Amino acid sequence: MSYFFLLTVNGLVIGLIYALIAAGLTLVFSVLKVVNFGHGTLYMLGGYASYYIIQWLGVPPLFGVIGAMILLFVFGIVFERLVIAPVYTDKVERKDEYAIIVTFGLTILLSNLGLVVFGPFAKAPPAFMAGALIAGPLILPYDRLIAAVVAVLLLGGLTVFLKKTSLGQALDAVSQNRESAAVIGINPQRMYTIAFGLGSALAGGAGALIAPIFSLSPSMGELPVVQAFIIIVIGGMGSVGGSIIGGILLGLVQGLGVGYLPDPNRALAYT
Amino acid sequence: MSRLSYSHAIQTVLLAIAVLLPLVIGPYWTHVGAIAWYYALLAASWALLAGYAGQFSFAHMAFAALGGYASALLVGRLGLPLPLAIVSAILLAMVMGALIAALVLRLSGPYLALFTLAISEIFRLVLVAEDEITRGMLGLEVPGFFPGSSDRPYYYLGLALVVLSVLGMNLLLSTRVGLFLRAIREDEGAARTSGIDTTRYKIFVFVVTSGIAALAGTYYGHFIGILTPNIAILPEMGLVIAMAVIGGIESLPGAVIGAVVVYLLSESLRSYGEWRFVLLGLVLILVQRFAQNGLFPFIEKLGRKRLPSQAKVAIGKTAGGGHAG
Repeated sequence: MSYFFLLTVNGLVIGLIYALIAAGLTLVFSVLKVVNFGHGTLYMLGGYASYYIIQWLGVPPLFGVIGAMILLFVFGIVFERLVIAPVYTDKVERKDEYAIIVTFGLTILLSNLGLVVFGPFAKAPPAFMAGALIAGPLILPYDRLIAAVVAVLLLGGLTVFLKKTSLGQALDAVSQNRESAAVIGINPQRMYTIAFGLGSALAGGAGALIAPIFSLSPSMGELPVVQAFIIIVIGGMGSVGGSIIGGILLGLVQGLGVGYLPDPNRALAYT
Repeated sequence: MSRLSYSHAIQTVLLAIAVLLPLVIGPYWTHVGAIAWYYALLAASWALLAGYAGQFSFAHMAFAALGGYASALLVGRLGLPLPLAIVSAILLAMVMGALIAALVLRLSGPYLALFTLAISEIFRLVLVAEDEITRGMLGLEVPGFFPGSSDRPYYYLGLALVVLSVLGMNLLLSTRVGLFLRAIREDEGAARTSGIDTTRYKIFVFVVTSGIAALAGTYYGHFIGILTPNIAILPEMGLVIAMAVIGGIESLPGAVIGAVVVYLLSESLRSYGEWRFVLLGLVLILVQRFAQNGLFPFIEKLGRKRLPSQAKVAIGKTAGGGHAG
């Protein structure tokens, strides 16, 4: 039974991280109607940003997470303004393909830049807190516990922000109908920029949270982003709540599946 | 001089260079050239699928892998003669293309891209996982087409395949089908209203391009002599997309030139390691941002502006390569 609990808790932690990645991807998709194929590299970038902030500034690891989110927010805004913004003008033909190609180009650019700049070897930032919580048969490293708590806070904050604040409601309005939102005085262009920035920040935060648990490598975003694609399809394209639930579910299925299915490698191939 | 013959003149000169080149260059570059034709086949057929018909598929490399593996297994396991194996591999890929196209018919844009990405990844993972049949990541050995170790026959075979398939696809695009495909890309609803059986033509273009991708895969397999599931990984697909986009997603010869230039550059800059791909990603974003129809049609247009007398004649005519917009 304790084995079951251990797998469940681990699956839950990973699921929460997946949920963070998927929520960012969904936010971008619902507001901009653009699938960000570069989302995995933003996640990677967040992990490294946090690592270097902690190393250079000597701040506690949690500030690394916050710093990474701020940096990624700025990066997202700049990228959206410079590269994605032309999609909304008439100058661009084949808008869907344009967005796929530029975000995919971003992936090629950043993942290889990561290899050159950060090096191919894995790096591990310091733990949020050493040691582990031992409750009966359940052993849970504080790292994972803190990552899970922060992820829950971020996801909760995002949900409240989208439901309760006027900015969040404006984002929701644009995601439902651009023209109608523009009619009642919401500037869709501004919402696109904000949504892309927030989506990038969420990816960056997820990367920063996972960094002490698994280590950092330039290709760390490839697998989680594929999972995130699966999640946003399961959770209903464009629904932030759905993607959160989908993320947690997928984490649990993976956590338990690895333990109980006879051939995990093959099981992954068919999920 | 009309725009048509202007483009054709350039293409003829480039073709002549490609034919004569192996007489001058060494065996290493002949080998590189022969691989470049593999990418050229993929980039050109992907440009037809994504650029003309607007069906942005990430599964193109999976079809190449399917072709390569099917042909290798048919020869290796069932002992079929090589030509028969190749033809059946291509037919198999076309059937699969039809099935997948029928599945994804209602999807477009990002949905289609995600779905085909998933199909492609599943297929690749099956290749890795079912190692009793495919030998997984160890790699499947494939018999060659030609005896001897010279790459020159492969170079000319690849060149012939590229020329024939581009000519064939351009011939197809010059008929009504080409117009239908472009109409579907621009506005599927309007195309259907005008009496085009959009379902049929979407499946059709999927089948044709899957067949060409499988052809490229069999060529690659029997040329290199070993196949691994890595030919269907996402970065390979990214490379092909980058080649087609940089060369010109709406011009099949442009995509071929893009593939050859990108591949030769990436080979000659090999000593710079990963910086090559940093550059590739940057160029991909910049080309898409500032010259959406590709670098070579863009350069061609610049060149034509320098010759104003010709430019006037060119207005209103569409090139053989096709520049819509």
